[in-house]
Amino acid sequence: MLSQKAKVLMVGAGGIGCELLKTLALTGFKDIHLIDLDTIEVSNLNRQFLFRKQHVGQSKAKVARDAVLKFKPDIKIEAHHANVKNSDFDVEFFKQFNVVLNGLDNVDARRHVNRLCLAAGVPLVESGSTGYLGQVTVHVKDQTECYECQTKELPKTYPVCTITNTPSKPVHCIVWAKDLLFARLFGDRNQSSDLIVHTNDRTSSAATADTDFFNIKDGETPESYACRVFDGVFGDNIEVALRNEETWKSRKRPRPLYICEVYSDAKKPRIDGSCNSPDGNDKHTASAARILGLSNPQEVWTVRDSANVFLKALELLLNTRQKDIGSLVFDKDDQLAMEFVTAAANLRSSCFDIPMQSLFEAKGIAGNIVHAIATTNAIISGLIVLEAIKLLMGNLDDCRTTYCLEYPRRKMLLMPAELSAPKSSCYVCSQSTLLLEVNTTMTRLREVVEKIVRGQLSVNSPMISQGPCLIYETGDDLEEDMVTQYNQNLEKFLDSLPAPIVDGSILSIEDFQQEFTCHLQIKHREIFDEEKEPDNMVLSGKLSTTRDQALPGSVQLTAVADNVSIHAVDDDDEVILIDEVAKQDLKRKVLDEESVIVCGKRQRTEVS
Amino acid sequence: MEVRNNNNNKYDRQLRIWGDQGQLALEQANTCLLNCGPTGSEALKNLVLGGIGSCTIVDDSKVEARDLGNNFFVDWESIGLSKAKTVCNFLQELNDTVKAKFLEESPETIINVNPDFFSQFTLVIATQMKEQSLLMLDAICRKQGVMLLIARSFGLTGLIRISLKEHCVIESKPDNVIHDLRLQKPWAELKRFSDEFDTEIDDSVIHKHIPFAILLIKACEDWRKTHGDSLPSTSKEKAEFKNLLSSKRRGVDEDNYKEAILSAYRVWSSPTIS
Repeated sequence: MLSQKAKVLMVGAGGIGCELLKTLALTGFKDIHLIDLDTIEVSNLNRQFLFRKQHVGQSKAKVARDAVLKFKPDIKIEAHHANVKNSDFDVEFFKQFNVVLNGLDNVDARRHVNRLCLAAGVPLVESGSTGYLGQVTVHVKDQTECYECQTKELPKTYPVCTITNTPSKPVHCIVWAKDLLFARLFGDRNQSSDLIVHTNDRTSSAATADTDFFNIKDGETPESYACRVFDGVFGDNIEVALRNEETWKSRKRPRPLYICEVYSDAKKPRIDGSCNSPDGNDKHTASAARILGLSNPQEVWTVRDSANVFLKALELLLNTRQKDIGSLVFDKDDQLAMEFVTAAANLRSSCFDIPMQSLFEAKGIAGNIVHAIATTNAIISGLIVLEAIKLLMGNLDDCRTTYCLEYPRRKMLLMPAELSAPKSSCYVCSQSTLLLEVNTTMTRLREVVEKIVRGQLSVNSPMISQGPCLIYETGDDLEEDMVTQYNQNLEKFLDSLPAPIVDGSILSIEDFQQEFTCHLQIKHREIFDEEKEPDNMVLSGKLSTTRDQALPGSVQLTAVADNVSIHAVDDDDEVILIDEVAKQDLKRKVLDEESVIVCGKRQRTEVS
Repeated sequence: MEVRNNNNNKYDRQLRIWGDQGQLALEQANTCLLNCGPTGSEALKNLVLGGIGSCTIVDDSKVEARDLGNNFFVDWESIGLSKAKTVCNFLQELNDTVKAKFLEESPETIINVNPDFFSQFTLVIATQMKEQSLLMLDAICRKQGVMLLIARSFGLTGLIRISLKEHCVIESKPDNVIHDLRLQKPWAELKRFSDEFDTEIDDSVIHKHIPFAILLIKACEDWRKTHGDSLPSTSKEKAEFKNLLSSKRRGVDEDNYKEAILSAYRVWSSPTIS
């Protein structure tokens, strides 16, 4: 039997992964490798059915393997608790498989796997799901589009000024609370961005402009510190912003909020400086909200509640996490951090007349949580295996992209569409040059590497050269003096590099592991629009965002989750899904409703 | 109820789809599965993971070797044992808050001999059953107000049918919410509050700070007095109503009047069930 002889690689042992492993086992597959870097969390248990409560904290790949082996001891499953981007998983590793099956939750890893599959010449079955929606498709080198032929919408970033000056949506306030305030108070001070509101009048600025404002002063109690911060960010900062008349000409003016106003007729919550909260110091259970009697996470707090939580959570964080202060990274499952962010976001929202959010909703937004259930993943896993079998049988013509819909369309919940040929303009599977507009006199190499090479191009271990000159590379086996040189290069402006990058330069970007090469043509530009081009550089050419019109003959894939943070997305089950398929007049070649493709033969469905 | 307010709720990801209400409905449901082959078992697995209140499996077959190939919820050790019991035990492991039960009996027998059995359930899921039995089952379920879901799968195709009586769902989630400001029918305290304001007052600062809702309440009262206790209905009347409001406006900086005029529509479009 075909499945018994095949060697399969599964990437991801989460929502789709668990269902897929089960389906593969039942379909007779006997040789499976499984890669997943994650550990099991409580919120996985509603759908990742190979895991139990007692497994929380353990490796998903390993527990999944053990669970399936209990039922089918005669299968070979090799579990890797590792990141698929690890250099161990090189082209040689990928070449050993007949087919690769993705059950990933982020675009970055998908792109990496895509490149490795292209390099190894191994067919890839891609998939994704969110809530009731899901899809499966197939990528075969030189025969079909690769995963990157259709550009994926990049995670949404917000212009800095919207976050610092002119928020208009709850997400703006949450991003502010999480990436600016929380980061500044508890994270690495050197990395934090300014919380300062920009004013045209450079002589007047908020008290928060003082770089030491957020440092607790000698002898300052947690209570007075908390109140000072409160008044600084919700009061003074707003006052200063209001002075800039231009900003508010066509916008609703915010209202500053001070501690004395909130508590004019009531007592502040007791801040007693004690380290002993009844819940102990477990970051999953220690809670300011619970102490204050706010036990329902779905209830939206009042301004007073939010102020209470703000002060209390700040106190608890200062007192119980001393050793982490200065290096704390926001984690949506860190209860105190989440409560603090919700409270701060709500207070800011109240200043700007934006609706406040419950803790539950705020967590979804701050943590980019995507809703998920078992059923959809089960369906998707079935579709993945069907496509895998077609590939193993060599029936590429029968392979399809299949969409799992929320409501039946023409009485069908599953909608197939034919695959498309590779795009000649794809810079991944067909060689092509991209254009980078950047200010070569004021931009450091480091910014280009982070935002463009690793960011937008998703290159993992880049080697950047200009002609014969190596400008930058990464690797474990580099000599010390090379590493020093490269680190120095990172800090230099582009036109000051040993091999200066100026207008007209052409850079080669390579990644050996991904076997990826592309060329970047540089165009010098002085000015960038702060709002539209917040990165101060623009990558274009054959790479265009999906905000532009759909490529003809293709189905538009749009990201469903539109609540993401200002920095790179770190999300759970991020989805790439179709939404508008039926509405678009596309050369989609959807099969007619009378027939169903079954292994190459069209058959009329018989319904008894 | 399962730890609803626990922030690290295992149901978090699905609560974000159907909310507390949906979750409650799920947890209060008693389901019955007829035949626990691959189709039924897989369906029930998804419900159990989601926190269904209870599930009762009805199946009189024993586990055979050939079941091992297509049903994940039976294993070598269960060959010869009751399939219903085996699947039930496995499902129970998935979620200890679900009450998983089984009945070693053939669904057809129950349909013929003990139809009242089904009255205890909210939903019956009938898998891989023949039409004749389904027709009888449907009649029983209809009579007892039990929902029925029929599922069949053949190779690579399958179908689902739902059978339930027409019923009313009152859970309006209108796309455009019209907030009811009680302009037409202020309750006692609101009326008293409204009476405290005087739109003829000289003090311009106070005048421009009268809340727009109060302006509308008063305008309604005035209108009613001169229009036989009715509210503006024709476009002419609506325009007249707005003009009355404008006429009281004393200056361009009186935003409250501007808001009142913009919100005047609330007076005649009162929120009702649609």
